[in-house]
Amino acid sequence: MFWLIAVTAWGEGVEFNRSVRPVLSDKCWSCHGADAAAKGIKLRLDQAEAVRGAGEKILDRITTANRARRMPPVHTGAALSAGETAVLKQWVEAGLPWEKHWAYLPPARKPALSIDGIVRARLEREGLKAAPRAGRETLLRRLSLDLTGLAPTLEELDREESYEASVDRMLASPRFAERMAARWLDVARYADTNGYQTDGERQMWRWRDWVIESFDRNKPFDQFVVEQMAGDLMPGAGLEQRMATGFQRNHRGNGEGGIIAEEYLAEYAADRVETMGTVFLGSTIGCARCHNHKYDPFTQKDFYRLFAYFHNIGERGRYFKYGNTPPFEMAPTPGQRKELDAIEEKIRAAESRLKPGEARGRLDWKPERDLVSREKIGPSYTDRFSIAARVRMSGASGEILAKTVPGEDPMGFGFGWKQGRIYIHLVQRWLDDAIRVESERVFADGASHAVAMVYDGSKLAVGLQLYVDGKPEKLRVLVDELNQDFQVKEPVRTGGEDVRFYGRRIEPLEVEFLAGTATGAAARRRQYLETVERGAWAEVVKLRREREELMDRIPTVMVMRETGEPKQAHVLIRGAYDRKGEAVEPGIPESLGPMPAGLPGNRLGLARWLVSHENPLLARVTVNRLWQALFGVGLVKTSEDFGSQGEWPAQMELLDWLAVEFMESGWDVKKLLKTIVMSETYRQSSAVSAEMLQRDPENRLLGRMTRLRMDAGQVRDHALAVSGLLVEKVGGPSVKPYQPAGLWKELSGGADYVMDQGEGLYRRSLYTFWKRTAPPPTMANFDAAGRETCVVRENRTNTPLQALNLMNDVTFLEASRKLAERMMDEREGLARGFRMVTSRRPSAAEMVVIERALARYREEYQRDPAAARNLLAHGDSKRNEGTDVVELAARTMVASLLLNLDEGITRE
Amino acid sequence: MTRRGFLAQVAAAQLAGAQTHFTPKAKRVIYLFQSGAPSQLELFDYKPRLKEMAGQELPDSVRQGQRLTGMTATQTTFPLVPSKFAFARRGQSGAWVSELMPHVAKVADKLCFLKSMHTEAINHDPAVTFFQTGFQLAGRPSIGSWLAYGLGTENQDLPAFVVMISQGTGNVSDQPLYDRLWGSGFLPTKYQGVKFRSQGDPVLFLKDPEGVSKPGRRTYLDDLAELNRMRLAETGDPETATRVAQYEMAFKMQSSVPELTDLSKEPASTFERYGPESRTPGSFAANCLLARRLAERGVRFIQLFHRGWDQHNHLPGQIVNQCRDTDQGTAALIADLEERGLLEDTLLVWGGEFGRTVYCQGKLTAEDYGRDHHPRCFTVFLAGAGVKAGLSHGETDDFSYNIVKDPVHVHDLHATMLHLLGVDHTKLTYKFQGRHFRLTDVHGRVVREVLA
Repeated sequence: MFWLIAVTAWGEGVEFNRSVRPVLSDKCWSCHGADAAAKGIKLRLDQAEAVRGAGEKILDRITTANRARRMPPVHTGAALSAGETAVLKQWVEAGLPWEKHWAYLPPARKPALSIDGIVRARLEREGLKAAPRAGRETLLRRLSLDLTGLAPTLEELDREESYEASVDRMLASPRFAERMAARWLDVARYADTNGYQTDGERQMWRWRDWVIESFDRNKPFDQFVVEQMAGDLMPGAGLEQRMATGFQRNHRGNGEGGIIAEEYLAEYAADRVETMGTVFLGSTIGCARCHNHKYDPFTQKDFYRLFAYFHNIGERGRYFKYGNTPPFEMAPTPGQRKELDAIEEKIRAAESRLKPGEARGRLDWKPERDLVSREKIGPSYTDRFSIAARVRMSGASGEILAKTVPGEDPMGFGFGWKQGRIYIHLVQRWLDDAIRVESERVFADGASHAVAMVYDGSKLAVGLQLYVDGKPEKLRVLVDELNQDFQVKEPVRTGGEDVRFYGRRIEPLEVEFLAGTATGAAARRRQYLETVERGAWAEVVKLRREREELMDRIPTVMVMRETGEPKQAHVLIRGAYDRKGEAVEPGIPESLGPMPAGLPGNRLGLARWLVSHENPLLARVTVNRLWQALFGVGLVKTSEDFGSQGEWPAQMELLDWLAVEFMESGWDVKKLLKTIVMSETYRQSSAVSAEMLQRDPENRLLGRMTRLRMDAGQVRDHALAVSGLLVEKVGGPSVKPYQPAGLWKELSGGADYVMDQGEGLYRRSLYTFWKRTAPPPTMANFDAAGRETCVVRENRTNTPLQALNLMNDVTFLEASRKLAERMMDEREGLARGFRMVTSRRPSAAEMVVIERALARYREEYQRDPAAARNLLAHGDSKRNEGTDVVELAARTMVASLLLNLDEGITRE
Repeated sequence: MTRRGFLAQVAAAQLAGAQTHFTPKAKRVIYLFQSGAPSQLELFDYKPRLKEMAGQELPDSVRQGQRLTGMTATQTTFPLVPSKFAFARRGQSGAWVSELMPHVAKVADKLCFLKSMHTEAINHDPAVTFFQTGFQLAGRPSIGSWLAYGLGTENQDLPAFVVMISQGTGNVSDQPLYDRLWGSGFLPTKYQGVKFRSQGDPVLFLKDPEGVSKPGRRTYLDDLAELNRMRLAETGDPETATRVAQYEMAFKMQSSVPELTDLSKEPASTFERYGPESRTPGSFAANCLLARRLAERGVRFIQLFHRGWDQHNHLPGQIVNQCRDTDQGTAALIADLEERGLLEDTLLVWGGEFGRTVYCQGKLTAEDYGRDHHPRCFTVFLAGAGVKAGLSHGETDDFSYNIVKDPVHVHDLHATMLHLLGVDHTKLTYKFQGRHFRLTDVHGRVVREVLA
């Protein structure tokens, strides 16, 4: 840690940024920074012009013996160390030289260099040597875990294949895309639930699969960014592009009763800005939400100019408790798309078989189909249903069909009239959890009409239609906040004549027939079809029904969709949703501007700027995160903060070299990763001497490879893979593997986790259902990000709970049993198991311990075969009945031992 | 590592060596969190004048245009509703406690009531998150995590931060809880709270599985350690040594946790004291008893959550049940701690995330009423180490609507809790996203008036 601060003498050009800026930022700017005016402080120390001429004053105030005058004030707790005081003195004496913060200058590189050239030169300056190259098996394991997330198989370990060929094979594997996607899910705060309070399920897995596919196809990273930021606004945007914008809907959504919608609308837009800041700019722009940023050049106005890009998608502040909240769209999988096309083709064919012709005579057809008997009426808020009746509206009010609890403003659903207006009520809680609409028209007392209502199960007032005498009737929306079911255990009451209830949406034409108002060619044609062409028509009807059923199964995904109506954004004073300040227009932070000419003034323009060469941050921040994924620590350790409070890059030259390389390659992710993993720097051994460990504990000088514990998903996936349980299927709805009973229920009293059966137990961990308020325990134990907010930095701890998890969780017990089945042969079994888990052959000394363990377990289970059977009963998969129970149990314990080895869950 | 990073780590390490900023009064905290928000009007904040005004509209001069939740904002009427329950002055101190809490009433002289608590959040999720992490949105460390990080543990065989949950019989479909309430936020995961459960293993994956014997497990761990040490000799990675130690700790937990949760050796008098419910695992009373046992073993932060306090409707019926769940256990815990000499270095905190409105939510009848969320005032009580027993601090107006004297904000409570533990709330920091974060953000005042 000392090489960075060893040089304090003024001299090389970088000294301001490297030595002075960190001191000013950490010790001075929280008062004398961009937000100084708000504190009534005149002197600013964050701008070259402001500092000029203040040298003596600064010296005086930081060195005075008078404690009351000395800066920083005691109460701030930000005292200057002797070293820091010295740095500031030298700075003043050198005439207060100033430099723009490094991260806002465009990255530049010396083209002749290479990763190894830069790293070696640095090591030489420090008087150090690079570590030797790691052994072949170690390297293959490292490469495989880093690029595919899984360790090499024995066959892969033994394959005659050059290192480069292995790299290419892995980059081409679908496992690579899954590995990259798994990390992106943390960054994008992806989850399968809404995250607040009830934390109901949402459906975003189509977006997750879009990410996998993007990495699989090696989509250029700039395109990857633009589509997620503004796919909906791209010219000719298709489903793929629109789906990509789900990135910005992955934030949590609050469906709690009683919340104030405006407050959360502001929250969602702010989350989008903050996430964009962290992921794409490595900047803590979120700090400028309530005041000017204290350390970095972002004003509060800048924050709300960014906010203005994200606040106009017509979303509701109160999200649905369960399911997706608009705007969302149907996102069929490629398979479903094919099914849909096939059905539509069939429908066209069936329709073409209908003979053209018309029936003559009376129109007496009535849509009887699907009439639900009175006892069965009890639709839920997600069901489609329709009601039709004839009523005479006499008196102040009356019910046509209702199923509500007794009393005023009741829960339940009601269709009736009051004060001359026809109403439809779908009510959970009268004031704030209901859809309540009524006719605009006021009908005369005693008027008699045919009425009908249709509901599409969307939980939205726009999903309701009212018809009077066969014609659509205009509705007034009183409340449009239905968020929970309105089912009640009450009898149905009816009040009209010929009241009909359908468990589907009836069509306008059917409504007309019911009203007796159907006339004209369309009606006659329909009657003809129903009566004369009965068989062929029935086929059409059946196919249309099939299409509807398919449509019901098609997943949806929440997306960004501009309303098209302008919506003025404002600075929110102190960040409070209800304190609007100055009006602002969309724009990028002034310090990073100006916006290049020719870009549109909307989110698409912002996205194009993000990936333009005018933005110095995106490439740096991205290569740094990729580096972090391989080396455990980024070249800038604070991968979430490249600002003044962030860490000075341990290897600036390397960071910029990679950033330029990345941009010049056309943002080619696979190429960049290949460049890194082909370097000798990556291929070094991770063994470390005590001396070196003390000198460079975090391996910032890259004089070796970093030895890293697998991440949470890898720990589980590895156990599944070596035991042969892993189901390698890409994409699809999230799955629910083993989880101790009661974890959901004890938090909410609601429904508990229902585990999958069969293949859902054995999919890779990136497909595990993620409930934000109760994440999967193994993932939480092994330091996975919580997915409540955007997380870019990795975190690895070493705890007793991890030990218990690996030893005792059914996931790992079952994997041990299945692994044991693969190591049953006397001569080679144990060594093979060891090699599958660690990717290397055990030493003789290690074999002694392992064989001794086996002998002991064998003896133990011989004494107690019941215990052996118990041990083998863990997990849903079948046991190989052909094996000896005692022997298998003994080897299961050995397999568990192997899976618990430090090395077993480590990449060296 | 930069110099600043290094210094920050040194500072944290100093504190982690259980070196506090000043001499602590409390060594540990037991926080009895009443989730859902208990009504101050029914329990501690006695408002006799409401009787005369029952059914009258809440005066605009009192509401002052302040925001209400979406559940009642569009109500056409806001009738005042007095508590149905009788109040009396209790003990020497004369603190007001209603008839709903007869046991707590008996220990009133040990308590310090903060009758002027207030918060910013108006809904459960942000409000509970605010109370437990000092911020309304997800992502910050919980109080217990801050303490585990800052003060470490006093018991090597148990976690420093333990959480227990119980479901009340009041509102049975009450608000859920969230793992983030005991999460470590941006602090390393090892500081997160460990949930002790009443079903299955008390700690997840604690028990050796069927088919693994205790001696078998011991030799397993010895073999594992031997193999790990061999690898350590090759790689020199200290993480491997740490892992060996963590497996030993896990082994110790396998006996220390069951020993802790095994109540069979508690005498009958204990269960008499804590009430019959304390024999039911997972009840609030049973958790109170476990809290005492955890305190005896030096666990730093013991966090209970009791759900069911969200009385929007049918308040009179529901709150009787809630109080029956919690009253005896709470009082027993205080008396028990005192008897064992633990109350003097244990800080006990009782309270919910906000209060409830003086006006009725929903239909007001002669028998029944409900109350909506009210962040502007509510009551929390403290007991034990370093707090003035028998004190009632702060006052609200005649409507229990606004605070008229000595407001105490959530951040102030946090600052005070840390102070009692010997920690200066402005100095317990962690650098994340370029900022030195604190539990109290940039706020918080130690409420010196309540310090003994």
